[in-house]
Amino acid sequence: MNLKKILTKDTILPKLKADTKQGVIEEMIGFLAAAGKFTGKTAAVQAVLAREEKMSTGMQNGIAIPHGKTDAVDQLVAAIGIHRTGVDFAAMDGKPSHIFILTLSPENRAGPHIQFLAEISKLLSRPELRAKLLNAATADEILNLLTAS
Amino acid sequence: MLPAATASEPAVAVVQAVEQMVQAHSPTEVMTLLVMQLALIIIAARMGGFLFQRFLKLPGVLGELVAGMVIGPYALGSRIPLPGIGPLFETQTIGLPVSSELYAIATIASIILLFLSGLATDLRIFMRYSVVGFLVGIGGLIVSFVLGDFCAVLFGMAPSFMDPAALFLGTISTATSVGITARILTEKHKMSSPEGVTILAGAVIDDVLGIVVLAIVVGMTKVINAGGTMEWAHVGIVALKALGFWLVCTTLGLLLARQLTGVLKRFGSPEVIVSISLGLALMLAGLSEMAGLAMIIGAYIMGLSLSRTDVVQELQNSLQGVYDMLVPVFFCVMGMMVDFSAMRKALLFGLVYSLLAIAAKIIGCGLPAYLTKFNFRGSLRIGLGMLPRGEVALIVAGIGLSTHCIEQDLFGVAILMTMITTLMAPPLLVRSFRSPASGLRHDMQEEEGKEVVFSVDFLSPDIAEFLMQRLVRAFRREEFFVNRLQMETETYQVRKDDISFTLSCEGQQIGVSVPSDQQYVARLMIYEELLSLSDLLEASKNMKGLNEMGSELIGNLF
Repeated sequence: MNLKKILTKDTILPKLKADTKQGVIEEMIGFLAAAGKFTGKTAAVQAVLAREEKMSTGMQNGIAIPHGKTDAVDQLVAAIGIHRTGVDFAAMDGKPSHIFILTLSPENRAGPHIQFLAEISKLLSRPELRAKLLNAATADEILNLLTAS
Repeated sequence: MLPAATASEPAVAVVQAVEQMVQAHSPTEVMTLLVMQLALIIIAARMGGFLFQRFLKLPGVLGELVAGMVIGPYALGSRIPLPGIGPLFETQTIGLPVSSELYAIATIASIILLFLSGLATDLRIFMRYSVVGFLVGIGGLIVSFVLGDFCAVLFGMAPSFMDPAALFLGTISTATSVGITARILTEKHKMSSPEGVTILAGAVIDDVLGIVVLAIVVGMTKVINAGGTMEWAHVGIVALKALGFWLVCTTLGLLLARQLTGVLKRFGSPEVIVSISLGLALMLAGLSEMAGLAMIIGAYIMGLSLSRTDVVQELQNSLQGVYDMLVPVFFCVMGMMVDFSAMRKALLFGLVYSLLAIAAKIIGCGLPAYLTKFNFRGSLRIGLGMLPRGEVALIVAGIGLSTHCIEQDLFGVAILMTMITTLMAPPLLVRSFRSPASGLRHDMQEEEGKEVVFSVDFLSPDIAEFLMQRLVRAFRREEFFVNRLQMETETYQVRKDDISFTLSCEGQQIGVSVPSDQQYVARLMIYEELLSLSDLLEASKNMKGLNEMGSELIGNLF
């Protein structure tokens, strides 16, 4: 799967500011909306929070993959966010989450949505890449790290 | 299709036989006989298949063949009398040992079989594993053809390598039937292994090129049977004509299939799509025969063309019922045509031919595998996986018999080879996978991920089955190709680009066998579906009480 088709420089947040789960989700969705990726921020936030309510998407090793289905988007939209100190995302291993991959996919349209998350998750299973991402200062650097692999 | 009499047969005998047929039965009697024959065939084939699968753990097709041998005109069939009509199955004096009407039904079954076989062909996997798969497929095909042809001449069954009988014995030996291998590999969780994927890719090439070889051979034998001679230049022309027909039809089919289905979809009726597609498959089958090739070639091309469209699932599902009824009839009729006395004379030849057919695939497929990325163990596994011959071998043998290119003895030999290879493959393949060691060469092992097997227990077979259906739908929504494998347990092959793994539902468990670097998508998909199940359970809590719903449904019935 070609990640370059979905990830672009203007969807990457090298320094997330929010310190709560809801705050991170709102910040990332707001960033995507500001980049002109879609309209209907409230519906998108609700969709992602509804998914989080069922079970947290905080995985292990500081990775979280918040996602939701909403008709606010007409194709897969994704954002990457990095938080240096970490946010409590109710992760599986109880540790704070640092690397966030947020996706929004249309409600009733087929497409490789979970596959995108799976591809990124596979990349992030490598400890050295996670360390490099945490130390990356710019969106360009993060994009290169993810798409060069 | 009416069996044609060869020019060499005395005209008097033909006239007598035709007169005999005309005198013997009125159309009503012919139809009555056909209906009675079909009744016995359908029941015997199904029972034979069932008994072989259930008690001998062998492929059902063998049971259908054996059932045919038992009820055929050379065994019990000629001893079952029908009052006022005669024996249920009578050996015919000319042509095939079964009636033209019955053979027509078997021919239609073979067209349906090849149409569905074309529909199930996965051209993407062929593209993905094209290099190793191509070499394995073509290696097996060439060695099988050459050894089959050579063996016929060596044993005096044919005067030369270019004789139709030798050419047919070569062709019969080429086509791999990968269904049996797929079942064993899935049971052993090896379907997604490098060997498994290579076998699947090899079988696609094998199928496609096998049909091309058949097209060429049928074209050549038609010229020879018409009294022509086969000079090498002539061979080239016939081969070009066959290849031309194949290439033009397949290219046009693949290019136009989406436009065609787009037009058909405007009717908004799945029934119209299925009927017109089947009609076109029959039409192309007929055109293929008129072009001097075999009918199944046209049917396969039509299936292959439609295999990449989005109506493929609809066609497969709708035609499955026709397939289930007709195809066992085909195998049973093939079994009925085995003349044991003629076969006895060629028994030694049959055994040697079968052994060579085994050796051909092990060497022909194993060697290219060994030269590319597999070690001896892996190459042997691939050779053994490509070993079973099945449907296509039987169809080709049937065409050979109906066109008099091969006679009863060699037809029996073809059936014997199909049975031996199909029987030998499962135990040998299981044995070859007993060692957990990798089949890849050392330097190739690092490139491939190890296989991971995991399962989720749902504590109830009903929930597992329900979730399995949702998972299949979810993968399709993610644009994966999900194909159900012909196995007793509900097993699916999930594929997309370089991702390939199997999902199976057995009892209350859903199991996954997946290369380790591809497990993310499988695990995340199951995880998301588990969550959607919790949504459903939550929604069911908000439903009206069961008592209330029950009383609304059946409250006023009594």
